[in-house]
Amino acid sequence: MGLEIEFKNLSGYPIGQSNWKQASYTMMKCKSFLGSSVGQKFLVAITGLGLSGFVLTHMLGNLLLFVGPNAYNLYGHKLTSTPLIYVAEVGLIVLFLTHLGLTMKLTRENRASRPLAPHQLPSNVVKRASFASRTMALSGLMILAFAVLHLVTFKFGTYYETTVDGVPMRDLYRLVAEEFQKEWYTAFYLVCMVILFTHLSHGFTAAFQSLGLQSSRNKLLKRAGLAFAVLVGGGFFIQPLYMYFWGGN
Amino acid sequence: MKLHLKIWRQKGPQDSGAFKDYSVDNASEHMSFLEMLDFLNTSLVQKGEEAVQFDHDCREGICGSCSLVINGNPHGPETGTATCQLHMRKFKDGDTIVIEPFRAKAFPVIRDLCVDRRAFDRIMEAGGFCSVNTGNAPEANAILIGKETAEKAMDSAACIGCGACVAACKNASAMLFVSAKVSQLALLPQGNPERGHRVRNMVAQMDKELFGACSNTGSCEAACPKEIKLENIARLNREMVRATLVE
Amino acid sequence: MLDSKIPSGPIEQKWKNRKFESNLVNPANRRKHTVIVVGTGLAGASAAATLGEQGYRVKVFTFHESPRRAHSIAAQGGINAAKNYQNDGDSVYRLFYDTIKGGDFRSREANVYRLAEVSVNIIDQCVAQGVPFAREYGGTLTNRSFGGTQVSRTFYAKGQTGQQLLLGAYSSLMRQSGQKSVEIFSRHEMVDLIVVDGKARGIIARNLVTGELTSHTADAVILATGGYGNVFFLSTNAKQSNASACWRAHKRGAYFANPCFTQIHPTCVPVSGDYQSKLTLMSESLRNDGRVWVPLKAGEKRAPGDIPENERDYFLERMYPAFGNLVPRDIASRAAKRMCDEGRGVGSTGLSVYMDFRDAIQRLGQATIAEKYGNLFQMYEKITDENPYQVPMRIFPAVHYTMGGLWVDYNLMSSIPGLFVAGEANFSDHGANRLGASALMQGLADGYFVIPYSIANYIGGTKLSPIKNDHESAKATMAESQTRLEALMKAKGGQSVDQLHRKLGKIIWDKCGMGRNEAGLKEAMGSIQKLKEEFANDVRIPGDNQLNSELEKANRVADFLELGELMCLDALERKESCGGHFREEMQTPEGEALRDDKNFSHVAAWEFTGKTPKLHKEELVFENIHLAQRSYK
Repeated sequence: MGLEIEFKNLSGYPIGQSNWKQASYTMMKCKSFLGSSVGQKFLVAITGLGLSGFVLTHMLGNLLLFVGPNAYNLYGHKLTSTPLIYVAEVGLIVLFLTHLGLTMKLTRENRASRPLAPHQLPSNVVKRASFASRTMALSGLMILAFAVLHLVTFKFGTYYETTVDGVPMRDLYRLVAEEFQKEWYTAFYLVCMVILFTHLSHGFTAAFQSLGLQSSRNKLLKRAGLAFAVLVGGGFFIQPLYMYFWGGN
Repeated sequence: MKLHLKIWRQKGPQDSGAFKDYSVDNASEHMSFLEMLDFLNTSLVQKGEEAVQFDHDCREGICGSCSLVINGNPHGPETGTATCQLHMRKFKDGDTIVIEPFRAKAFPVIRDLCVDRRAFDRIMEAGGFCSVNTGNAPEANAILIGKETAEKAMDSAACIGCGACVAACKNASAMLFVSAKVSQLALLPQGNPERGHRVRNMVAQMDKELFGACSNTGSCEAACPKEIKLENIARLNREMVRATLVE
Repeated sequence: MLDSKIPSGPIEQKWKNRKFESNLVNPANRRKHTVIVVGTGLAGASAAATLGEQGYRVKVFTFHESPRRAHSIAAQGGINAAKNYQNDGDSVYRLFYDTIKGGDFRSREANVYRLAEVSVNIIDQCVAQGVPFAREYGGTLTNRSFGGTQVSRTFYAKGQTGQQLLLGAYSSLMRQSGQKSVEIFSRHEMVDLIVVDGKARGIIARNLVTGELTSHTADAVILATGGYGNVFFLSTNAKQSNASACWRAHKRGAYFANPCFTQIHPTCVPVSGDYQSKLTLMSESLRNDGRVWVPLKAGEKRAPGDIPENERDYFLERMYPAFGNLVPRDIASRAAKRMCDEGRGVGSTGLSVYMDFRDAIQRLGQATIAEKYGNLFQMYEKITDENPYQVPMRIFPAVHYTMGGLWVDYNLMSSIPGLFVAGEANFSDHGANRLGASALMQGLADGYFVIPYSIANYIGGTKLSPIKNDHESAKATMAESQTRLEALMKAKGGQSVDQLHRKLGKIIWDKCGMGRNEAGLKEAMGSIQKLKEEFANDVRIPGDNQLNSELEKANRVADFLELGELMCLDALERKESCGGHFREEMQTPEGEALRDDKNFSHVAAWEFTGKTPKLHKEELVFENIHLAQRSYK
């Protein structure tokens, strides 16, 4: 006879009951997790990291602006002509809405936990907590406003057409170049990228803490978070500048 | 030394409260902060005015009774120091000092600078223990715990439950307090049998008491008189995930 | 004669015999019985949690906002237990022997033996609760040495052992509170004891927030309210530690035993000014590595670092070579006082001695010292602004613990049936001097392992008629409390309570402190009489009857005044020197305490009469340990 290994039951709930009970126990656990502030922050972190991944790839793709109109337009065309784009877009919207909805809910609750005017906050918060960490809700809302405007300007903006290698496609490069000839628009865009930078500089690191992976005091993680924010924010920052100075010709 | 004090006076939980100005002449720089308040109170009493009510007891930085937000800092400007261990030599002659109670929805003001922190007790009630009845413990050395693990657990267990973390947080979050207890018992084998329930129940109670969520700003760690580390919060989050997925 | 109800049989069998003879209460019947616990320190919290686990209905009262704030939390050094994990010759019998000897043969053998016996269970219990005791690399528990012993039997959690043990007991208590077997009344202070037909049947409590008085009746009342060191105003006790619950019980008929036995702890941060509100202890464990010295010459003005080795007097090592810096507390304190009396004290006041870590730092390295005592060094630096890694600590004795307390029999029941007293509040285990790391042991021994048996024995063996909260006696007692509080509020004098309390403290410290003599004690009693009148006429309590710290303090200081007088009377009556009680008339040629076993080998239990207190003696019988002059040389 082989040895039978008895698994230690750490949950305190009897093992080996009917599957139904096991399933309902799992349900209970998930409910209690997602209903808790910790679980909700977990979701905020997951969706935040997902969105971080999106902005990173978006920024990297847009670097093709430096290569030239054809490369950029071809990239845009390839991206939009696969049917997978719809799946990705839906996914992105879900990520975005979850992130937004939960943070709005939590922010409201957090405000209620400390029913005070901001000037009464201990200055300690001001001194010790970074500017970025204190203004996440505000920077988030500004990014939301920016995103809407951004979509209106580009995704749903003027449809110019061009052909590359005989294939007709949207001339997005032209639209981008036109928009960034406007000083006020470029300036606004740059400001928004700084805001995105601050949001990411706290959010990326904090996500790891919310997921329980690493303390946000960890030096390496802090540096990685900053590096990520510099990369994405910086990448997005130089693109409009480039287009403003050299994109016109 | 001469000091100007702006002290929060509030009759009771329903009263709106306001700052009142006092001045203290002849304070000694060797006085502790609370001795300076004693000194003020003696002079108030002699004039027949009501003494300022504040919580205090051991005056050694361990009982967690003392609170106070001093010039915007819970427990004052020094790091790793409770109000009772703060000395007047950290202030300058002629300084104006603003003294407020800890402020949070979950910590209602009782009177003046005293707040009700029993929400912490209720969180402990929800799971901050190992269920062991008196008499049925195994031989102490039957449970081997590595020195480093024991020390880590001790670092988390050093929390004095004063509530400065809540007072420092813009969300009035109690995560540092809860995570310190959860960490202590999660690190030790004695805490293992109830690990999942503990973290779930304590977090649920924390939410119920209307403490805010954690925004990972780190203010709590900076204000903590016992220097409880932020990594405890990461561990609490991990414990919640573990309780949901692994168990 | 007082009946201490010591069980029969040889000392090793007494506790077993008692447990077997004890009445029991059927588990199903326990919830019909209410037990009141006053105080939530180690003894109170552990007793309440255990009784809750067993099924009694428990009501717990604490004047703190939370049970976790009780003063046990401030104990630093450790807790003794006869585990003999170090294989250095420890045993239950040796712990028993050390404690009796350390207490200068003024404690009850049977109680002390039981304490040593259950000490091993305490460690098991605490470890199971998750108390993070210090450990070896191999994962086993580690120990350190403490004063008055030659074995390593002290378990510790950094310099916060009391905190960790209390949080363990507190967590058990909160677990019971969550299960509704225990009801906690925080910010409630006991103001009187309800006695019906000669039995303790409840308490009157004052809600400190609303000022409301409520009566709570029960089948038994346990006082675990700590010691009365704050009679001295300046002590290492927490500011709010007080003797009122015990004193009110005393006035209702509970005898007060050995009130003059107070412990002056040798290693405290010295007083710095007249505004000082309390004194801070530096754990005795520091004496493991710190060497205590004073300059050889009186009136030395050089900085400690400039004084060469041959001009230093390591007086404890010189006077007590066998125990060196680890002599018991009373002996170390008196030696330090003698040095200061000779004019060799250091610091601006001349009232302190050095405790030097220079040699230990050289031997072990700063990192090791920091690991062992880091938090204590930090605490010292915060108070004094001096860095003890670089300059020696300055220390001076301060009031720390009171061995005296309400008289209890072997079952921890006072002279009022149904009133039990646990922890520092009773007098039972430490005789005339407590050894370091034994207070935590006694508190938990009483609460976890003795009180539960005593309660079962009492409730199981006593006819207790049902009693309602509005019983006649409860109402009458409540009315008296009301009158007393109103009288206090009426005084419209010119002094704050603290000012009057400081005066009391000074009288007691000067005349009934480290050294006592007949003339001084008589003078002190006269001064206290006068101070009582001054208090009645000249105290000022502004404000209302709700949360009002001045009223709380006045209520407590009124009791301290009466208790201080009894302390002096007891000290006057005990014409011998023993442990912490040093009558200057009674000393050996070398200046050590000289006991008088023929006339004073007894417990002095005082009965409150309203006029001169009446003395009852409980003779102490030593069947196992031979009475001898203590020697630590």
